[in-house]
Amino acid sequence: MAYLSTTDFFEDQNFFDRWRRNLKGDLDLSWMHTKTEKLAATPENPRRGLTLRDLDKNGYGFSEMPEFVRDNRSFAPRGAELPDGLPDVQAAVSQKGEVWAYNTEGYYEEAMTRQWNATLDVPWAEMAKAELPDEIARAYAQLLTFLTEVEMIATDVPAEWMGKLNNNFMEVKNFMATQVMDEARHAEVFRKRALTTGCGLMKASPYNEMSLKQIRDADSFAEMSLALHLVGEGVVLTLFRFSEYIAPTDADKKMFRLIMQDEARHVGYGVQHLKWVMRHFPEKREVIHKHLDETENMVFGGGYALEVTEPFIILAGKGLKKENIEQGAKITALFQMKQIEEYFERLDKCGLSERRKRSKLHNALEFTRAALQEAGVLA
Amino acid sequence: MSVAFPSLAFFQALQTLMRQEELRFRRLGFVDTTFGVEVLASHGAPWRCLLTFEVFECREVAEVASFDLTEIDFVLTGDLATWVETMQNIKQHGGADAAHSLNTLTHFGERMRVLYDDPDNRDKLFRFQESLQQFFDLAGRLDIDFPATTTTVQLSA
Repeated sequence: MAYLSTTDFFEDQNFFDRWRRNLKGDLDLSWMHTKTEKLAATPENPRRGLTLRDLDKNGYGFSEMPEFVRDNRSFAPRGAELPDGLPDVQAAVSQKGEVWAYNTEGYYEEAMTRQWNATLDVPWAEMAKAELPDEIARAYAQLLTFLTEVEMIATDVPAEWMGKLNNNFMEVKNFMATQVMDEARHAEVFRKRALTTGCGLMKASPYNEMSLKQIRDADSFAEMSLALHLVGEGVVLTLFRFSEYIAPTDADKKMFRLIMQDEARHVGYGVQHLKWVMRHFPEKREVIHKHLDETENMVFGGGYALEVTEPFIILAGKGLKKENIEQGAKITALFQMKQIEEYFERLDKCGLSERRKRSKLHNALEFTRAALQEAGVLA
Repeated sequence: MSVAFPSLAFFQALQTLMRQEELRFRRLGFVDTTFGVEVLASHGAPWRCLLTFEVFECREVAEVASFDLTEIDFVLTGDLATWVETMQNIKQHGGADAAHSLNTLTHFGERMRVLYDDPDNRDKLFRFQESLQQFFDLAGRLDIDFPATTTTVQLSA
């Protein structure tokens, strides 16, 4: 047991006597006279219900929360009275700017209302009717194996960080909780789809797993969020949209539509977090670039490994014949170019437009563009 | 009663159907976005409307002369032939088939394009993808008057 209570309640006569007096009707009632703010929150928009934004009032709110949370080191909810004796739970992060994003509470509410069910909301019976050609089924099963691998770490990472954040960051922690559920559902749906193709799961990807381990082992929340929400999920969002584009059945398209909604929400948090950091802590610009140098290496190694690029070429070209491969390679190159371009667009809007000049990933984008121009695909 | 496509009446009819299907759209969750629809004619001015979604419904539909991309989330733009083909496909299948989903039509900008200023606002197309797809799929329940030919019809503002 890593933590022992400072009191042995069974042996504490004062505690025991007080409890017995309570049971006899001798009440203390000191808790009724706490000096906390009195508030009766109401929904601003009754159709939307009572939201966390409706609770953003005075000391209960997040807008007035100080940058450094020095008073609450415990499990106490923000706004409660903090009596002596609360344990210091030693949160790893007590600085708002490390975790905060514009619209955090909005992303949480949106996530709560847009949950879906991998068992019931995906038309599995319809999928079962569609018989895929062998090479398409195997390529699809490989892609689904890769995606399951990705989503499992995307579940673990926010779950690990939730408990490390100061309890005053309730909106962020709640958003992380929805992300954990989202990613768990993605891992579930990809596994289920892989096991309905007739091929089962295919091969794990060492390069992909090196990248995933880097996200898991991030030294700080800000570093993790940059790698997971903004970079990783940003490129995966484009990947999901491409997967919808090439999906073999209407039912698969529906599955990817549901998945992309969750992913886009996570990317939204990542973008708004980076905007928050760039606005409030411009001095962190160089640190962010250094994180991005390594994260982009991760994206290139993991996202463009043969275990994912080759299935995409086969799925996009609709087969393994020479003409299919040629066509699939062009379409996949267009997708990868779009993926990198969208990543840099997001950084532009976060105030990091200089990133293009110092990024090796941007060199890969230019390499892809030149190859497509040489092939006559791009002007 | 039939409605012409494209027209304000067409999108108002979708708005009404969405309200009638409130339970289904509540199940899909909050949808908060304002975006434009642009139908490009081979001759004459494009037809444009602005759709505002809030909470669980399409709150407002308005015909507009132009879009300010810094004030709205994104614009779905395509030529008249593509829009007509999409609506006819929705009518035929009761919803868009694999070749006519919003994402497939717009992904590489081959059939339709997504115009935007801020990619974070553009991403709302993906955050609310299933709600917006099902909104357009409601066209399957309308009796639609399509232009006689999609290449020569002048679109009135």
